[in-house]
Amino acid sequence: MQHCDPDELALAALGEQASPECAAHLADCAECQREVASLRRSVDVLAVPALAAPSQAMAPPPQVWAAIAAATGVAVSPRPAEMEAGLLRGIPMPTPTEVETDVPGSAGSPPAGATVMPFRSRSDRRPATRWLPLAAAVLVGGLIGAGAVAVTQDGAGGAVVAQTGLDPLPEQVASGTAEVRERGGVRELQVDLDVPTLDGSYYEVWLLQADAQRMVPVGIVQQGATVLRLPDGIDLAAFPLVDVSVEPLDGDPTHSGVSVVRGELST
Amino acid sequence: MSLLAVRLPPLGTVADVPTTQGSVQQSAEPDDSEVARRFVDGDEQALAWAYERWAAQVHGMAVRAFGPGPDAEDVTQQTFISAWTGRSRYRPDQGPLPAWLVGVCRHKIADTWAKRERQRRSTEAAASEARSAPTTGPGSELATEVADRVLLLGELNRIGQPQRSIIELAFFEDLTHAQIAARTGIPLGTVKSHIRRTLERLRDRLEVDGAALRS
Ligand SMILES: [Zn+2]
Repeated sequence: MQHCDPDELALAALGEQASPECAAHLADCAECQREVASLRRSVDVLAVPALAAPSQAMAPPPQVWAAIAAATGVAVSPRPAEMEAGLLRGIPMPTPTEVETDVPGSAGSPPAGATVMPFRSRSDRRPATRWLPLAAAVLVGGLIGAGAVAVTQDGAGGAVVAQTGLDPLPEQVASGTAEVRERGGVRELQVDLDVPTLDGSYYEVWLLQADAQRMVPVGIVQQGATVLRLPDGIDLAAFPLVDVSVEPLDGDPTHSGVSVVRGELST
Repeated sequence: MSLLAVRLPPLGTVADVPTTQGSVQQSAEPDDSEVARRFVDGDEQALAWAYERWAAQVHGMAVRAFGPGPDAEDVTQQTFISAWTGRSRYRPDQGPLPAWLVGVCRHKIADTWAKRERQRRSTEAAASEARSAPTTGPGSELATEVADRVLLLGELNRIGQPQRSIIELAFFEDLTHAQIAARTGIPLGTVKSHIRRTLERLRDRLEVDGAALRS
């Protein structure tokens, strides 16, 4: 019996589709399966969303620099205007998630069976389980709301291609704005929020279809400004609603159904 | 250098005032490589510049891992403190400074997990001692994983280029080998064999020093 090419087995360990011949052989060969499993351990350990390339920019609160300055003894300080500019620097690929969820309808009752869209096709990769612990990783944190540096956007991050005010949903006291900028083919969503401090939960921003049937998670947001890279290829005309939800620390990556603000992007 | 430069998209295109190579004016903002050079030299101003430019991305990673709050702030803080005190370990020919900072941040995230796992186990041990019950057995799956993560991140640091960039693109940017070849310009077959050898190396490291065998 001709075993799979070792390089093919390594790719299989990374979750890539093996060649048809190798896939057929792999289905029946315990030896090749063992090789894949042994190579996969390091993939499972390291290829986790919490270690992925940065996908969102968030200004650290002032006490972080204060602690760095105290520990290193440096006498200089970062400049607030330059910290703002740092928020708008390019950030790499977002991590995809692919989950089923119930969706909060605009009118209040969650329609069943809606789906969270994957950021990009993963048909040739390992199933989405590799990325699902994202929310679980967040769960590990004790989420005590810390004051973030509120920054004002200065338009330095590229051309604004869409924007909206974010209005509170019924019985919510919150507001904000959202803006999509494009620079060098990369689109970023900046969310500026004025929201209550949370204890034991956190805010997350989503892009929803107009009927709120399908949605894409974009990232964690907080009081003040957050800049997130948008998934490549997402059609803002198909997902025009910007929605900010309160997510409990339950490890469930789906939308909680509790939204605080929402707005429809206009281009 | 050119390889690792693809790991992160161009950083520093936003607010930089262009400077002429070699004759940086006092008032002008230095470019990223100048910041890196002065950072390595121990110029305090370069630490502030690096923080201005990259702290938001580092903090974004920390928040993604732990949620907003003290743990994320600690990771961001420790990343810059370690980078500064360990700046002699930064090698410009291995990649740009922000990519290195992201790597340091990964270590701090993994360390924080490991620290929490130790705390959890000592709390458990204290609890079972108080009940005069036998202590819990060998490391849980979680304990094994957090310890192996620290071990393998350390091993990644020892891998030379371009092998390290290739495996990082696969692990941390979730690219296929074909996408990695396209991004780096390295031939497909070379990418594949580098991936295999690196995965074998990481497997060997786990087999020799992995937590599953120690416990
Ligand atoms: Zn075989």
